[in-house]
Amino acid sequence: MPRIAVVATLLVPLVVALLGAGPQIHAQQKPAMINITVKNHQFQPAEVQAPANVAITLRVRNLDPGRMEFESVSLRVEKVVAGNSEGTIQLRPLSPGRYDFYDDFNQETNGVLVVR
Amino acid sequence: MYFGRNARPPTVAALFFVVTGFGVRAQDAPLVYRDIETKYIFGFTEGSGVGLEGEKEFSVDTVLNFGKQGGRYWRSESKLEYEFTPNQYVQFELGPMIATHSIKGVTDLDDRDQVNFSGFFGEIRWLVLERGPSSPLSITLSAEPEWHHIDETGGARVTNFGLEMKVDADLELIKNRLYLGSNLLYEPEATRDPDGIGAGWGQESTGGISAALAYRITPPIIIGTEAWYLRHYDGAWFNTFTGDAVYIGPTLYMQLSPKTFISAAWNVQVWGRDVDAIGSLNLSEFSRQRAKLKAAVEF
Repeated sequence: MPRIAVVATLLVPLVVALLGAGPQIHAQQKPAMINITVKNHQFQPAEVQAPANVAITLRVRNLDPGRMEFESVSLRVEKVVAGNSEGTIQLRPLSPGRYDFYDDFNQETNGVLVVR
Repeated sequence: MYFGRNARPPTVAALFFVVTGFGVRAQDAPLVYRDIETKYIFGFTEGSGVGLEGEKEFSVDTVLNFGKQGGRYWRSESKLEYEFTPNQYVQFELGPMIATHSIKGVTDLDDRDQVNFSGFFGEIRWLVLERGPSSPLSITLSAEPEWHHIDETGGARVTNFGLEMKVDADLELIKNRLYLGSNLLYEPEATRDPDGIGAGWGQESTGGISAALAYRITPPIIIGTEAWYLRHYDGAWFNTFTGDAVYIGPTLYMQLSPKTFISAAWNVQVWGRDVDAIGSLNLSEFSRQRAKLKAAVEF
């Protein structure tokens, strides 16, 4: 078998596996649903709670006319949500603690996810 | 641009405040130290960050090497990187590379002044241990295959394949302020007929370990220092030891805006050993100095 074919045979499954890494581990558990609204450049509520070690679906509704970007380094996600629309973000199961998030286009807009 | 002797400190200070916006923010609002991506805050040492899911980034990442035995030596290699993070655990990078060489009178290297497209690289990074509210340690494994058609050191035309594998670890010592980083490196390489004598594939390998400290002096600015210990071998599996070197130097990371940043590092070889030469530095396998400059924009 040519060398490049051997390399491709080894690499392609690895890349496919890595693309699906992590989130599938807990895919059988029903995710917790959290709703957050952005209005007048404020998260409402500014503090939300979620259970630990369960995948989380975060729905962000942007009621402002301008777009916002939900961003969090500790949650390792970012998503642009256009004005007067909504976006959905899938979070991995989290350990207990506080996870800050903010609007990257308007950095005075802050919130926190408390996982218990 | 020329700065008079008396004008230089205020000018530099003014540039600093304009670039960072630090002065304006310091008056308007309290400083907020949010969580930060650690990948680029340690200089040549890479932090464990894999980016944010959905994030894409383009960057120019240039490494300069200068100083060799017996003459003038200067080379650079710039990676034009496209980086993306498809999920919360994995990051990919890829892109072409451009190399420049300016060499004159260096032992065992031909004189040349040139700029070339030099090859392609890709990188896979996998976060295996994530930092969390109760765990300050984060670890990422990375593998970076490279193809070069210009020799990195001497600038001659070659066919070269390398695979840089690393363990990137960092520890948050003070929440959002002080970080300790470390890399473990193993990089085997194979070069086709490196001496032009029809001898087949020549193999070599480099191993190394680093330690770096990074302190966030203001929310957008991180300064630090790092040290690297590198060992070079003939053979892809650390077969025959040929020399080693120790580098130390300062590092800088600066967030210019929410979507742009630069990082820089400068390392000086402070100790080295070449099994075929006498001296306190190893200038046959490693350069006297090296520097790194990365400018990135996220989108």
